[in-house]
Amino acid sequence: MSAPWLDVLDDTIRACAAHNRPDLAARLREKRASQLDPKLRVLVVGEAKQGKSQLVNAMINAPVCAVGDDVTTTVPTFVQHAETPSAALVRGVSIANTPTERIPVPIDQVAQQVSAGRPGELLAAEVGIPRALLTSGLVLVDTPGVGDLRSARTASTFTALLQADAVLMVSDATTELTASELELLKQVMTSCPNVTVVLTKIDIAAQWRRVVERNRAHLARAGVTAKLIPVSSALRLRAAKTGDRELNAESGFPELLACVQQDIVAAADVLARRTVAVAAASAIKQLVAPLREELSSQGSRGTQDTIAALHEAQRRVDELRRRSARWQTVLADEMADLVSDIEYDLRDRTRKILREVDRTFETADPMLGWDRFERWLEDNLTEAATTNFAWLLDRSEWVAEKVARSFPVHREDLLPESVFPDDVLDRVSKMDRPVIEKFSISQKFFTGLRGSYGGLLMFGLVTSLAGMPLINAISLGAGALFGGKSIMDEGDQRLKRRQAAARQAAQRHVDDFFVKFSKDCRDAARHIQRSLRNHFSTLAEEMQETLLESARSARRAVQDDATERERRTREAKRELDALVQLYQRVQALAAAPGQPPLGISA
Amino acid sequence: MNLEDRVQALLTEALGVYRDSPRATAWLRGHLARLAEPVRVAVAGAPLAGKSTVVSALVGEEFAPRAAFTWYRDGPQPRAQAGPHEVPVVRRDGKVFVEAPTADRVVVDWPSRSLRDVVVIDAPSGAPVEQVYGEADAVLYLTRHLHTADLHYLQAAHDHPIARATPVGTVLVLARADEIGGGRIDALSSAKQIARRYRREPRIRPLCQNVVAVAGLLAVAARTLRDDEFAALAALASLPRAELDDHLLSADRFVGEDFPVRLASPVRQRLLDRFGLFGVRLTSTLVRQGFDTQVKLTGQLVQRSGLGELRDSIGQYFTERREVLKARSALLGLDVVLRAEPRPAARALVAAVERVLASAHDFRELRLLAALQGGRTRLPAELDAEAARLVGGLGTSLPARLGMEHEPTPGEARQGVLEALGRWREQAANPALDQAQRRAAEVVVRSCEGMLAALA
Repeated sequence: MSAPWLDVLDDTIRACAAHNRPDLAARLREKRASQLDPKLRVLVVGEAKQGKSQLVNAMINAPVCAVGDDVTTTVPTFVQHAETPSAALVRGVSIANTPTERIPVPIDQVAQQVSAGRPGELLAAEVGIPRALLTSGLVLVDTPGVGDLRSARTASTFTALLQADAVLMVSDATTELTASELELLKQVMTSCPNVTVVLTKIDIAAQWRRVVERNRAHLARAGVTAKLIPVSSALRLRAAKTGDRELNAESGFPELLACVQQDIVAAADVLARRTVAVAAASAIKQLVAPLREELSSQGSRGTQDTIAALHEAQRRVDELRRRSARWQTVLADEMADLVSDIEYDLRDRTRKILREVDRTFETADPMLGWDRFERWLEDNLTEAATTNFAWLLDRSEWVAEKVARSFPVHREDLLPESVFPDDVLDRVSKMDRPVIEKFSISQKFFTGLRGSYGGLLMFGLVTSLAGMPLINAISLGAGALFGGKSIMDEGDQRLKRRQAAARQAAQRHVDDFFVKFSKDCRDAARHIQRSLRNHFSTLAEEMQETLLESARSARRAVQDDATERERRTREAKRELDALVQLYQRVQALAAAPGQPPLGISA
Repeated sequence: MNLEDRVQALLTEALGVYRDSPRATAWLRGHLARLAEPVRVAVAGAPLAGKSTVVSALVGEEFAPRAAFTWYRDGPQPRAQAGPHEVPVVRRDGKVFVEAPTADRVVVDWPSRSLRDVVVIDAPSGAPVEQVYGEADAVLYLTRHLHTADLHYLQAAHDHPIARATPVGTVLVLARADEIGGGRIDALSSAKQIARRYRREPRIRPLCQNVVAVAGLLAVAARTLRDDEFAALAALASLPRAELDDHLLSADRFVGEDFPVRLASPVRQRLLDRFGLFGVRLTSTLVRQGFDTQVKLTGQLVQRSGLGELRDSIGQYFTERREVLKARSALLGLDVVLRAEPRPAARALVAAVERVLASAHDFRELRLLAALQGGRTRLPAELDAEAARLVGGLGTSLPARLGMEHEPTPGEARQGVLEALGRWREQAANPALDQAQRRAAEVVVRSCEGMLAALA
């Protein structure tokens, strides 16, 4: 039949494994193995130079542990029963998982080898010796002093502590327990609760009785319930040598050995129960802590993240909506501005050309250089149109950029590749040639003749009064004069008419050009506007779809999280309840030794 | 201008800068006065390490332990002061009690030759490191067995920029050496071996100048051995050895009922209290070995208890280096003021403090010594020891620096210094050494030049 503590321990180990703490489980398993082991490990611990090794030597009456004035014990020494005295050193490279090597040494040399050994290679020493005290499976473990300058030694002591069934805490009688010793004692209690404090060296301390009193007070104040036994190893060893019973009694060892027999050897089950209770309780406490943590923090971090993601997604969708209204306004406004600006610019340019035409035909005769004029006009109009159109393109590109800027996100393909028509300039018609009246020689002759007739007749009548004939030199001269003037007047009038006609023609042409070209420009602008709008609204739709999708997935995540968390909380509560129950069983184990604790069914 | 003058000038200048701050002025005046006083040596350590016992041994009078700062200084007659009030000093059972249970700081004037050039401060074990190192110029740190906590204490003491620049002023004392080895008669030689091991320990070497083992109880007894006690010891020694040893097995047996000699139990109890079991064992053996007069026994006990070595260490590391220790304390004090009340006018002072720290040769010697001891600077083996000796590692007197056993004649001294100077000038230009080593050699050269100047 297995002991009740074994069930509790096994349950605790299972709980540790279930909670993903293989380290705790391994430690408890080690504890379980050491508890099932019929050997009773009694660890002798204490600070350096308190007489630990000497105590072990005095208990078994043999110099198997290294003693010396300076720090001598470097590795734990395990002293156990054997039919014939034997000793061995355990060597290894490091503590973790490397095979160790046992080297037998003569028993009278083991102490010397241990104190001379380099702690890096030597792991422990093992001594077997036939002693009545040890026959019950008692193993005395001498350990290196705690608080030594070389921490590796202290570490080996704490490793050994894990397997201890009971602990003899050694302090010498020359001083009271110091703060660091009390600290050590408390630390030991957390791992192994069966502690007896041994006060050594009472032979050289004159005031040891007072020290015992003070130490009891210190222990009581620290809340440590442990027996305190004053001993003197020196007296005991001497008594053994001389066979002096009285001296042996004085050394305090009979009491110590009786205490070991009664409290440790005879009460192994109680010890095991207590040790297991402490170990299991500490393991359960460690398991409970993260569960409590989880339960208490309702909005765990993962959930907070998903909720934050959801908020962010929603915010971005809203932002996109707000901004798309904005970019549409921007596009419409800018395009309206663009069209009016372009039209004004075109009008300005054509007016300048017309003024130039007017100025030219103030003086010039269209009859003489019409072809050249026509080329000039054509060139100028083309240039105006090119500049104007180039400006239109520039402005519309700028508008596209501005709209892109007011767009909520930035992407590589935000600007459209091309939205501009490229066949506007070809569609301007040729200019009509104006009607130009010529002034031919016969017309000139006829006009001159008509003008000269009046002058000849006028002067002929006047000179006929003076008795000259009607056709005389004077009247002929006057006739020629009048004829010439009429020809000139007629020529001037004709020129004026020609100029007016040319101007009209030019104006008409420019007007035509303006109407046609401005229509083209407006069409182009509208075309640009439409394609920009199409482009950007496609983009916006795409983006909105993406954002909505991410928002939807975030919302789903939050919902999933909530259910997951609820499930987790329920589970954690259940686990916690199970652990608390286990803990109560552990407590019962410690509280009521000898009776089967309540609540154990399986 | 020597170091003391420079530091004094700095303090005076600081007084001028801070004349409007009463707190700073009082503080600086205190340090200025302290500059002229003897070296203050604090005795610190863990509880029950034997501080009061060591203090008593140093002063030469058995004082009862007190749980507060207690200063012992030389005075024409015994008296004690707690602040401005005089407190009674009472002698009971051979022990001196200072009746001021509540005062947290008592100054005891005591006529003693030992206090002529040191002031001894008994520091309570709970006192913070900074306070102990602030009040004292040098510290004897007591421990029974070196524990990691002791190491942390000493490391904390070196954790200040000025303290790092002037690494000096701690001697580690293994007190209660008589308890080592369970009070065996050769416990003290074991203790001395342990002290030697600590001296070589790389983690301890940089933290203290020396490690000394002292059996405090024995040392006090040696300094205050009385006639009746000597008579009692002589009576013990008259017993056959085997019989006496039986009764010296344990303290209980020694004060037990059936004692072969006619010594009343209270007398034996008193002997035990004063000497400890080890002390009784050792003294009775010594008397039997022929140290059979009080004078002989006292001399032998002073030597054996380690008190002699402790005094030598105090002399060599503290009183001989008085100037440096004082300058260090003053600079630390000045640093406190400069940090607590920074002001534009004090900027020049900060620079001056740094200049003194960097340039004063005494400090440079100490830094080299610390570097050699701590292994930060390594010289070839034979040079290492000589460099440490020449910069004052074994004492700052001329013979100690030159490694001469006796007081040299001026001619010999000159010869020795010149030889050393030549040797080290070579080393300072030795291309086989690296830069740190050459710089170390330069410091040694400068020390030799200083010695030469002192001889001229």
